[in-house]
Amino acid sequence: MGLSLRVEGLEVPGPDGRVLLRLDTLSLPAGARLGVRGPSGAGKSTFLYAIAGLMHGARGRVAWEDTDLLSLRTEARTRFRAETIGMIFQDFLLFDELGPMANATLTAMFHPRRRRAPLRARAASLLEQLGLPETPRPVATFSGGERQRVAVARALAADAPVLLADEPTASLHREAADRLIDDLAELARARGTTLVAVSHDPALLERMDQVITLQDGGLVPEDTVGAARTARETA
Amino acid sequence: MEDLWYQLPPLAQDALLLVGLLLPVLLIAAIVLRGYAPGPLIGALLRRFRWANLVFVLLIALSVGMSIGLIAQERGLRIGMAQAADKFDLVVAAPGSEMTMLLAAVFLQPSDVPLLSGATYTAIATHENVEIAAPLAFGDSYKGSSVVGTIADFATYLSDDRITGHLWTDPFEAVAGAAAPVALGDTFTPAHGHGAAAEQGAHEGVRFTVVGKMARTGTPWDTAILIPIEAVWMVHGLANGHPLSAGDQIGPPFDPDLFPGTPAIVVHTSALWANYALKSEFSRDNETMAFFPGTVLANLYRIMGDVRQAMSVMSGLTQVLVAASVLLGLSILTRLFQRQTAMLRALGAPRRFVIAVIWSYGVTLLAAGTALGLGLGLGAATLLSWLVTHRTDVLVQASLGWNEVHLAAAFLAITSLLSLLPALVLLRQPITNGLRA
Ligand SMILES: Nc1ncnc2c1ncn2[C@@H]1O[C@H](COP(=O)(O)OP(=O)(O)O)[C@@H](O)[C@H]1O
Ligand SMILES: [Mg+2]
Repeated sequence: MGLSLRVEGLEVPGPDGRVLLRLDTLSLPAGARLGVRGPSGAGKSTFLYAIAGLMHGARGRVAWEDTDLLSLRTEARTRFRAETIGMIFQDFLLFDELGPMANATLTAMFHPRRRRAPLRARAASLLEQLGLPETPRPVATFSGGERQRVAVARALAADAPVLLADEPTASLHREAADRLIDDLAELARARGTTLVAVSHDPALLERMDQVITLQDGGLVPEDTVGAARTARETA
Repeated sequence: MEDLWYQLPPLAQDALLLVGLLLPVLLIAAIVLRGYAPGPLIGALLRRFRWANLVFVLLIALSVGMSIGLIAQERGLRIGMAQAADKFDLVVAAPGSEMTMLLAAVFLQPSDVPLLSGATYTAIATHENVEIAAPLAFGDSYKGSSVVGTIADFATYLSDDRITGHLWTDPFEAVAGAAAPVALGDTFTPAHGHGAAAEQGAHEGVRFTVVGKMARTGTPWDTAILIPIEAVWMVHGLANGHPLSAGDQIGPPFDPDLFPGTPAIVVHTSALWANYALKSEFSRDNETMAFFPGTVLANLYRIMGDVRQAMSVMSGLTQVLVAASVLLGLSILTRLFQRQTAMLRALGAPRRFVIAVIWSYGVTLLAAGTALGLGLGLGAATLLSWLVTHRTDVLVQASLGWNEVHLAAAFLAITSLLSLLPALVLLRQPITNGLRA
C-alpha cells in the first residue's frame, strides 16, 4: 500500500544559494498518482529529488505519512529510500554489463539478507509481467522500451510503496512509451503504489489522478485535479 | 611478549608476519563488505573498464615483480657466493689484499701475487688438526678455463669424492671440473696466462691427459682443470718439490727446500676451533696472511648492504609511485562511475555499500597485480640467476622467500588502505550532481 505525501513550505536552494524551487503546500493521498509537468528548467527534477530527500539544504517539510524526510540525516534518508521509494530515470541508468535479472535485483545487494530472496522472487515475477526475456544477456543489447521496463522492475522489486519517475518515456518512441505507461499505471494501481511522475507526455499525464505544473521553480496555481481532465481533452 | 616472539620457530614468525600484514586488508574487507553482496556490480566494473583494468594490473605486476625480482636475485647471489666459498674454510697467502686472494682462490680470478715458501707450507700441512692443506698454483689456462696446480686430495675434497674416471697418477694427467671444456680422455696444452694475454705457445710440447671428471659443484671451480702442482712447477722450469730419491712421487709431503712456492694454500681442518688457532698463528706481518673467505664475503655484504638498502628504497619509491598513479587512475575511472553511484544512492544504497563496491573493485585489481607480480618477480629472478650462473659459474638459484612475500603483502596492505580514498572522494559529491550529469 502506498504512502501519503504532504509538502509544506518547501524551499530548495541551488549550489549558488538561489532558490531553485519553492512550494507552499502540496498534499497527495496514499496510492494517488501525481503528474508533474512544466517547461524545461522549471524545477521538475528538483522537485522529485527533493521529495526523495536527495536535495541537501532543502528547507521545510516533506512528510511521507508521518516521516518528515527533511528532518532525517543523510544515512537515515538513504535507509528510508531503500525501504520506501523506487525511482525511474529518463535514461534508465542500468548496469549495461548485467542482465535484466541482475539489474532488477540490484538493491538486493545492499538489502538485509533475509529480504533478498523475496526481493528476487518479486523481481522475477515483475520481469515476467513486463514481458521481458529470461536471459543473462547484458541489457546493453536491449531496446529502450525493454530497458525502461527493467528499470521499472528494479524500482518495484523491493516492494516500495512509493514510485518516483523522472520523464520515464522521454527516451522512448511512441509505441514503447505507450506500453510503458500501461505497465506503470497498471502496476501502480494493482499495488496501490503512490506514483509521482514528471513528464511532458500527455498520454502519461492523462493516466494520473492529479497533475501539477511547475514554472520558474514554483507551482502554477490553477493547476489542480482539473489538469488531468485538460490533459485528456488536449490529447 | 618479545620473548615469546623470539621463541617461535622462524616459519611461525614469517607466517604470523604475513597474516599481520594482510590483516588490515581482511579487516577493511570485513568492515565494508559486512551484510552486502556486491559481487555482480564489481564484476560489471571489471568488465566495463577491462582494458584500463588490464593495464593497471600489468603496471602493478611489473613494479611488484621488479622489486621482488631484485630482492630474490640479490639473495640468490649472496647464497650462491657463500656456497662457492663453502669449501674454503681458511686461506693462507702472502700478505696483501684478502679480497684479491678471495677472488683468486674462490672465484678463480687470479692476479699476480707473491708466493708462500715451502717452510710455510710444511708448517701448515704438518699442523695437528689440519686435514687438507692444498697449495693452489694459478697462472695457466685452457680455452678460457683456469688450469690450477694442486694436490689430489683437493680434487677429492672439492668434488666430495664424486669423480668419474680416476685421480692423476702421473704429473701430466688432469682432473677436470664438470663444466670445463674437456672430456675424459682428451689431451690439451695449457696456455700461459689468462684470456687475451694468454701466451698460447709458451708450453709447447707439454700435453696433459684428462683422466677424471668431477661432478658439478655449482661453483666457479666447475670450469677449472686441476693438474698436479708438480707439473706446474716443472712446466715453468722449477724444481718439482721432491728430492730425486723420492722417484716419481706426486703430492705431499714436499721437501721444503725444493718447494718453488705457491700463491695460496687452502686449509681444511678437522675441528672448527682449529681454524681460529691456525688463523692467528699464520697471520704474521710480512710473512703470511690467513683469512676466512666467509668472513670477507660477509664484510662485503655489509658494505653492499647499504647499496641494497638504497636499492630497496628506490624500488619502494617506484612502487609508491606506481600505486599513486594506479590510485589516480582508479579515481578517474570511479568518476566515470559517478552517475551509477548517484543512482545507487538514490535507490537507497548506504555509503558503506558504495565504498564496498569501489574498494573491492580497486583491491581486486591490486591483488591480481600483486599476485602476478610475485610470479613475474620469480621469473625475472630466475632469468637473472641464469645469466649470472652462466657468466660467473657461481650457481645462483632464485626462489621466492618470505621476504618477498612480506614485501608484496605490505604493498597490498598499504595500497588497499589507500583504495578507500577514491570512494570517499566520490561520496563527497552531492548525489543529484551525479543524477543530472
Ligand atoms: N547542479 C545545479 N547547479 C546549478 N543550477 C542547477 C543545478 N541543477 C539544476 N539547476 C537549475 O535548477 C533549475 C531546475 O532544474 P531542474 O529541476 O533540473 O529542471 P527540470 O527538471 O524541470 O528541467 C534550472 O534552472 C537549472 O538550471
Ligand atoms: Mg529534469
